[in-house]
Amino acid sequence: MKIDQELTRKVAKTARLNLTKEEEEKFTKDLQEILKAFSILDSIDIKNTRSSFRPIEQQDILREDEEKSCIDQEEALKFTKNKLNGFFIGPRTIE
Amino acid sequence: MKFTSEVVIGLEIHVQLDTKTKLFCSCRTQGEDNPNTRTCPICLGHPGTRPTLNKKALEFAARFCLAVGSKIAPELIFSRKSYFYPDMSKNFQITQFEEPLGVGGKVQLKEGKNINLIRVHMEEDPAAISYPGEMSKSSYSLIDYNRSGNPLIEIVTAPEMTSPEEARDFLNRLISILTYLKIFDVNRCIIKADANISIKERDYTRVEIKNITGFKELEKALNYEISRQKKEKVVQETRGWDGKITRSLRIKETEADYGYIIEPDLTIIKTKEFLNQKIPELAHQKAAKYIQAYSIDPVDAEVMAMELELAELFENVVQKVDPKLAAKWLRKELLRVLNYNKKSLKEVKLDEKYLVELLELVERGTINDLTAQKIMEELVKNQFSPKDYVQRNKLEQISDGLEEVCRKVISENKKAVDDYKLGSEKSLNFLVGQVMRQTKGRASPQAVSEIMKKLI
Amino acid sequence: MNNIIKKCKVIDKEYNYFTVICDDAKPGRGKLSGLAISVKDCICVKDVESTAGSKILKGYRPLFDATVIEKIRKEGGMIIGKTSQDAFGFGSFNTNVGLGFKVPKNPFDKERTTGGSSGGGAGLTQKADFPHVALTESTGGSIENPAAFCGVIGFCPTYGRVSRYGLISYADSLDKIGLMSKTVKDLRKVLEVISGYDDKDATSLKEKINFESKTKKFKIGLIKFDQGVDPEIKTAVEGAVKKLKNVEVAEVSLPITFKYGIPTYYIISTSEASSNLARLCGLRYGIEGNPKNKSFNEYFSEIRSQNFNEESKRRIILGTFARMAGYRDAYYIKATKVRTKIIDEYKNLFKTFDVIVSPTMPVVAPKFSEINKMSALQQYLMDVLTVGPNLAGIPHASIPVGNKEGLPIGLMACTDHLQEGKLLEFLQLVEDSS
Repeated sequence: MKIDQELTRKVAKTARLNLTKEEEEKFTKDLQEILKAFSILDSIDIKNTRSSFRPIEQQDILREDEEKSCIDQEEALKFTKNKLNGFFIGPRTIE
Repeated sequence: MKFTSEVVIGLEIHVQLDTKTKLFCSCRTQGEDNPNTRTCPICLGHPGTRPTLNKKALEFAARFCLAVGSKIAPELIFSRKSYFYPDMSKNFQITQFEEPLGVGGKVQLKEGKNINLIRVHMEEDPAAISYPGEMSKSSYSLIDYNRSGNPLIEIVTAPEMTSPEEARDFLNRLISILTYLKIFDVNRCIIKADANISIKERDYTRVEIKNITGFKELEKALNYEISRQKKEKVVQETRGWDGKITRSLRIKETEADYGYIIEPDLTIIKTKEFLNQKIPELAHQKAAKYIQAYSIDPVDAEVMAMELELAELFENVVQKVDPKLAAKWLRKELLRVLNYNKKSLKEVKLDEKYLVELLELVERGTINDLTAQKIMEELVKNQFSPKDYVQRNKLEQISDGLEEVCRKVISENKKAVDDYKLGSEKSLNFLVGQVMRQTKGRASPQAVSEIMKKLI
Repeated sequence: MNNIIKKCKVIDKEYNYFTVICDDAKPGRGKLSGLAISVKDCICVKDVESTAGSKILKGYRPLFDATVIEKIRKEGGMIIGKTSQDAFGFGSFNTNVGLGFKVPKNPFDKERTTGGSSGGGAGLTQKADFPHVALTESTGGSIENPAAFCGVIGFCPTYGRVSRYGLISYADSLDKIGLMSKTVKDLRKVLEVISGYDDKDATSLKEKINFESKTKKFKIGLIKFDQGVDPEIKTAVEGAVKKLKNVEVAEVSLPITFKYGIPTYYIISTSEASSNLARLCGLRYGIEGNPKNKSFNEYFSEIRSQNFNEESKRRIILGTFARMAGYRDAYYIKATKVRTKIIDEYKNLFKTFDVIVSPTMPVVAPKFSEINKMSALQQYLMDVLTVGPNLAGIPHASIPVGNKEGLPIGLMACTDHLQEGKLLEFLQLVEDSS
């Protein structure tokens, strides 16, 4: 698997990061070095091993379907200047 | 998969579950509709917040799986599906990827055709986006997070529907099942469909149409798309329906990479305790029962069974009144009046005992059909005793003295009588009509007609 | 303005330990009365700017207190301010501060690091001459690392022991809120208050800590691991263990943890972190621009590119890659399986041993000039001794045991899941013997 600038660019785009040429070069180099070191994982046998998605499992935690008060409109919109008539103003949704 | 039919349709349906609170927070799902009035830091995606799973939503989702025969996974596991869009408060959706809650299952259409389900899973709804003007011309979007976090089940069907009518029928049947299970309410909850459609002529090149709301729109959109595909070149793509046409939604390739990970903030839930739910008799079972027990018309049976309230009303009414009569009046007359007034049976709060009274009056021949129809129209608006009403207003059907009135009308309408003698049916109707007028609608049109024919 | 706040301002001017100082801090009444509590910036305090040390969250003043903060307030703890950290916890030296933030300095030598990512909390704990406990957080070592470099006790409980509701996430399956203090006694006091089930955090534990743990004779497993560990540090740790009375010591090894721990940790943590940080895009809170006339991808990319620091971008890229289609199985999924093996390795040792001991860090606090020369990978490798207990979610702590040329050395002790009581017992033993 090739770790090159094209891959870095693709990954950055997926993560919505515009990289400068320097950043692209630097991150590619970092990725190469890091993944090379991480390739040690190829040597461990994980056949028949279950995944751990948390280190210790709590069982069956569920919430009752009971209303608790919501925040009001003013509070919801408190942290932005981009608002209009109670809505959040967002960017265009088509390219 | 090998296709042979002219048209191949598969559906992905998102159903909002009728819970009081959202899937991952305790905000109410109903209530004020002003934007951003039913939110909290969790469904707004504020840093530091985390989800907790609504027990009722799981109960409802499991109930659906049981009703349609899906195999339920022993553990409920959620994943994060990453994609950036203004309606995603976390820029990932908590959904199910690794293993859906339900696999398989089926929904039966009329004439016994089964549509198989591929999967049923739980996920949260994104926010609602609107625009200051037309979408393609707006320079910004307007976002309302009231809907963000609503509990949904996504139902994916096999591509087994072969016409827009069939797709519409499927959706209708699905809504009937959801309502019967009391996990969905047509007035309060949203149901949306994405459709995958391809036609034989274009080598079954598949097009996805997103976000169609309601079964009428579904049929319209699919019909439009079929005719478009017949006329234009077809590429595999995603299109949106705007009420009139479908248009291409250019999706960037990066968005297709959802980078799934297991949701670390939610514990794994054992589904065992939710498998013991009692599933009520569903529409198609009730219909079959009606046909067998009451020998009523199969179409009448199906129509009445589709809507739970109507079915329950019918079942109570047939205890007192002839089933065939009840079926006719409920299926034809009541529904007609409800549709005309744009109301649902639930909204009207019809008092059963008054309906029974009305039907008994018809059954005994105390009033004629015309009078009964008029009373039905009133009963939908107000509740009152039809028996009292008929007595008070002297609306009983007249059978005495009809001959006299007929003779009178005959003598007053010589021309019509002559025309009838010459073969005009219209004239007979006119003469009958005159008698009806004179008796203030209380005569039985059939009886009058008979008498007229005898006299002339 | 109270006296303690005045002192904080003086310390901060010299050392950069704070991102916000709470001028209106007031003492309260309860189990924690008389105690000043500093809060790592990633823990939400209502109406106080909480940015997890980042620029992109500037201006975010949470509408709610984190559950731990609620609990502390209820018992009269005085919240004095938010402490400096690597942005989002991404770092081992607190040098990856957000754009516009200042790097905190080691309390013993201003040319050296405090350690990270809870550098501000550790430095302040050392420097404070008033009763104080730092509320901090660890994902891969962010409590014990700076505690070791700053010569204080750093305590990280079992995963789930303290509610994470209100903690701005780095990696949700690894984050744990913990404490730093100068004494075991203070640690215990605050731990009692902040631990416990919270129905707003589904991963929080229902079991309670047994503070009355009484271990007759500690069976200590001393980890045999020499690679890159300063021999003076090794000596200091072994020496501290030798001083303990009535204990049994044996050498243990954790081959899987030490060989595969770093890649496992970085793959899982960055996968989760990259998804956690996706929400930061200039909508609803934090830094924003003008979204009009821009497409969503354009706007999001603009905000994110301009406001994330270099390390944040690097970890987002690494984490996005590790869970991308085509790489997901080899990286994310695989790492979660190796994690199981690491947890099993620890659980196995705890069948025999009460506590497992090692140095906390392979070196004493490096100079900033040395850190600047390190590549990203070299910095990651500094976590070699701390990622194990963090991946396993077991309680662990660092306690000072001597120094090298005036710079503190930390001994790290771990116990099995849920055994915080036993760990406190052990720490008390070490504290008493020094």
